[in-house]
Amino acid sequence: MTQLKDKAPLGKVIVITSGKGGVGKTTSAAAIAAALAKRDFKTVVIDFDVGLRNLDMIMGCERRVVFDFINVIQGEARLKQALIRDKRLDTLWILPTSQTRDKDALTKEGVEKVLNELKEQFDYIICDSPAGIERGAQLAMYFADEAVVVTNPEVSSVRDSDRVLGLLASKTKRAEDEGAEVKAQVLVTRLDQRRIDAGEMMTIDDVLEILAVPLLGVIPESTAVLRASNVGMPIVLDEPSAASRGYEAAVARLLGEEVDTQTERDKKPGFFSRLFGAPA
Amino acid sequence: MRAEPIQVRGRFLTAIAIRIEVDTPDASFFAALDEKIRSAANLMVGAPILLDFEKVPGFASRDHLGELVRAIRAKGLLLFGVQNATPEQQALAEEFGLIQVLVGRDTPVQQARAVSPRRSRLVAQPGNKVIHRHVRSGQLVVAERGDLTIIGSVASGAEVLASGNIHIYGTLRGRAMAGVEGDTNARIFCSKLEAELLAIAGLFKTSETIHPDLRRCNVQAFLEDETLHIERLV
Repeated sequence: MTQLKDKAPLGKVIVITSGKGGVGKTTSAAAIAAALAKRDFKTVVIDFDVGLRNLDMIMGCERRVVFDFINVIQGEARLKQALIRDKRLDTLWILPTSQTRDKDALTKEGVEKVLNELKEQFDYIICDSPAGIERGAQLAMYFADEAVVVTNPEVSSVRDSDRVLGLLASKTKRAEDEGAEVKAQVLVTRLDQRRIDAGEMMTIDDVLEILAVPLLGVIPESTAVLRASNVGMPIVLDEPSAASRGYEAAVARLLGEEVDTQTERDKKPGFFSRLFGAPA
Repeated sequence: MRAEPIQVRGRFLTAIAIRIEVDTPDASFFAALDEKIRSAANLMVGAPILLDFEKVPGFASRDHLGELVRAIRAKGLLLFGVQNATPEQQALAEEFGLIQVLVGRDTPVQQARAVSPRRSRLVAQPGNKVIHRHVRSGQLVVAERGDLTIIGSVASGAEVLASGNIHIYGTLRGRAMAGVEGDTNARIFCSKLEAELLAIAGLFKTSETIHPDLRRCNVQAFLEDETLHIERLV
């Protein structure tokens, strides 16, 4: 396999998950993948939401889908045939899913095989999880090295994220084989300061106190997000906005943490770094 | 008396018995053993371990026992004895440095004579459990035979149960049920109360019936006159 860079690909698997639907998982997966690719990391984003495929639309490549993730798992196509290269960034690739099958088409062995093949070629493999905590979501997180838990600052979303954090600590390959936790960080999306001020939304501190994991970033509610997804543009490739800056900062933090993940086990973040580790 | 270099004390402690169910252990037996040890690592690692031959009087191969002993010790478990062994099995066990533990009529099945008592806590309260992490939504933690101590928070939608007391060094947002076997003396302690439900020996209060002044406070809950009381700890 020829590489753009001289060194071996990082092969890091990051799942974007949340439990609750509609919190911004796919938007975040697309934005994080694009921001990593912008920094010259060879990145692929995989849609695990079999039957409700959305990622290709957010990425603006829905008309270029011929073969998909499920075809590859079932041996009907080679990985190379299913990967779609982004037209804007040549380090960014998409592995779309099937709209006609369902989540039973995903198998643990199949997912592992595809991920292992991708690890040999890519620095970052971003898994866009479906909502819920059923099979599709569990397979999306099973092989992850790290997790980004997307949460809106409201009680039901936070509670579902807490449930997902519990699964990340027990129902992943890392947890089962090594008894180690998948490193999880929370990305708070759709933050509306006016609604927080009005007492209608939870504050970042409230969210972090409940979830007790490090804060990866905060994405403000923004019309730019909707506009970008309507035209199939990952938000960080669109014109600058508060949301795109939020994602850029989140990715910077994700890479900053990269150094720590080299050690076998992560140290729990201290109380102060949790509270003051990131701007709200 | 203080000058005495040695004091002899009687000790009881809880040991964990691994009961063998097949006469000849094969690959699937060892796979099942690995799985058991992994799934119950909290319970088994560091605790004194016995092999129970009750169901397998025919288990008499030196090689099989040797393999089993090595497999268990390789997992870091402290295997020290056997119980319900036939004289033949006893003799074999001795070769591997395992002592026969007699299970007397008066002794509860899970108590065995101490060889190397590790912690006095085991002696005082068999079955206590300490959890060093947050209990997340949807998770259930049970201490069937003792107290449950959580060093962390209990999330909304999580449940913690104990036959004894429950101590939570963190925020209790979920449900805590102490004295689940009917112990009316059991209590619940937590550093910050935001519970969905508190119950002791089946008597409960929900968030709606907990006085608002107590919310977010360091409290204890206990039964008195068949009523659940919650009181601030100062």
